[in-house]
Amino acid sequence: MSPLLEAREIRKRYGGVVAVDAATLSVEPRSITALIGPNGAGKTTLFNVVSGFARPDSGSVLLGGERIDGRTPHAVARRGLARTFQTPKALTRMSVLENMLLAAPRHPGEQLWRLVATPGAGRRREREIRERALELLGLVRLDGLAGDYAGTLSGGQRKLLELTRALMTEPRLLLLDEPMAGVNPTLALQLLDRIRTLREEQGLTFLLIDHDLDVVMSVSDRVIVMNEGRVIAAGTPAEVRSDPQVADAYLGAHAGEPG
Amino acid sequence: MTALSLEFWAFVGVIAGIYTILALGLQVQFGFTGLLNFGHAAFMAVGAYTMAILVVKASFPLWAASLAAIAAAIAFGLLLGLPTLRLRADYLAITTIAFAEIVRYVAINEQTLTGGPVGTIALAGPGRAASYNAEWLDVQRTVQDWLEAVIGDHATRDVTMLVIVWAVALVLLVVVDAALRSPWGRVLRSIREDEDAASALGKNVFAYKLQALALGAALAAVAGLFFAFQFSFFSPGDFDPLVTFFAYTIVILGGTARNWALPVGAVLFGLIFAGTRFFDFTPFTLFDSADRAYLRLIVIGLILIGLMLFRPQGLFGKREEMVLE
Repeated sequence: MSPLLEAREIRKRYGGVVAVDAATLSVEPRSITALIGPNGAGKTTLFNVVSGFARPDSGSVLLGGERIDGRTPHAVARRGLARTFQTPKALTRMSVLENMLLAAPRHPGEQLWRLVATPGAGRRREREIRERALELLGLVRLDGLAGDYAGTLSGGQRKLLELTRALMTEPRLLLLDEPMAGVNPTLALQLLDRIRTLREEQGLTFLLIDHDLDVVMSVSDRVIVMNEGRVIAAGTPAEVRSDPQVADAYLGAHAGEPG
Repeated sequence: MTALSLEFWAFVGVIAGIYTILALGLQVQFGFTGLLNFGHAAFMAVGAYTMAILVVKASFPLWAASLAAIAAAIAFGLLLGLPTLRLRADYLAITTIAFAEIVRYVAINEQTLTGGPVGTIALAGPGRAASYNAEWLDVQRTVQDWLEAVIGDHATRDVTMLVIVWAVALVLLVVVDAALRSPWGRVLRSIREDEDAASALGKNVFAYKLQALALGAALAAVAGLFFAFQFSFFSPGDFDPLVTFFAYTIVILGGTARNWALPVGAVLFGLIFAGTRFFDFTPFTLFDSADRAYLRLIVIGLILIGLMLFRPQGLFGKREEMVLE
């Protein structure tokens, strides 16, 4: 099976800092792949490159075999790649439900001329997606808060909302930047469960960044390790765990972190 | 014009109506999309001048010149937006200020085109300068006849103007409000909240910003047209940066992103704007009337400061929205 996502020889520098240095990785369809590495390893930069938020200095990104590097974030998103952010970007002065409705693709009501020409089509779509939005919110138990401002949610709830909102875009691939950070442990476990179910039931593919090694190891099929902008190891969790290079670069650096 | 005459209140009302339309344009751009347009008055100027020039110099019929004026404002909006809307918000703000000043200076210096600093009265000589006005008066007279049948002698020219301006303002409010409540408006608000989130959800942020800028410019042009009709002659000074800030005052006064607060804000503004003429008692009589006219600027400034201190969400805004991060 050909990979759903491929990043080849990605290079990205900011001023004098080489954030990503010839990183190559691939994500198989229907897999849960974890991207780990110490702070500053280039994980988030790689996410930004893949999702169109940053243009690579060189290298290419392929989604389902199609080149997507250099495309705008919205064009990448429309091709089925949804991403979340390290600090969740809840649209705070909009309701939780509005956050969800906004994410629905192919909405005729979002085009001014169609709003005038075919107002019925917009209303129909709005009803459709409203049902779907409430259903998805129910899965993460946010349906009771649908009418509240997203800005009133806790950090963990915002993470959930962002994940659920990303699902609303009907993605093929979800890039989750530290989905468990700041989420309380019970909720985090539910979240992992949800990710597994989505993979099983809907065939979704996940690439997630996380710091919590144990969590990552238990949920992922494959683990990719980055350090100083490079991919230093990739394989099953067991393989990666026993890789001396990983223990050295990642665990060594991790052990040195305060707290 | 006495303080309590119908003419006076009609005048206040017309100003308020024109500013409602102007502020509605800013509402779309700033209130909903978060675009910092500090050159709004220039779009009003483009509307007014394009209409006047086309009627006087190119003998366009009034309706065609008015449509062309709105189209010109939209074109200027796109011209301004294309290079700047991809940049950070503050760059747009700076560029709009520069744009507004360029428009004003062109109006001052291109005397053969615009009539220069004295205004449209010098556009094509005394006889022809007012030709757009003549055609407008015909329109107004038709409406006035129709009004007379309903309200009799009260249907003066000023009252007729009041009715026309507010009829247009209300129709525009209803239409724009509906658009802003639609899923289209939801995308605009998401851009105001967080551009990156909007684009990560597949929204073409740039295209929506352009649409907001263009729609706002068109509304400013409509306000400019009515300004031209109301005052017959106008000059570059009528579109100085202060006008933009008056529009901001109205948007903020009512409560940002509250459409139905706009007419209330505009009427309040109109009262303050025209109301300093009532300051004919001590200590205000220490100033001559020209100085007293400037008092309104101070009053408007004080009201804004007071509002920011005690009711930052505006008269009709929701305080809870102010504290959300």
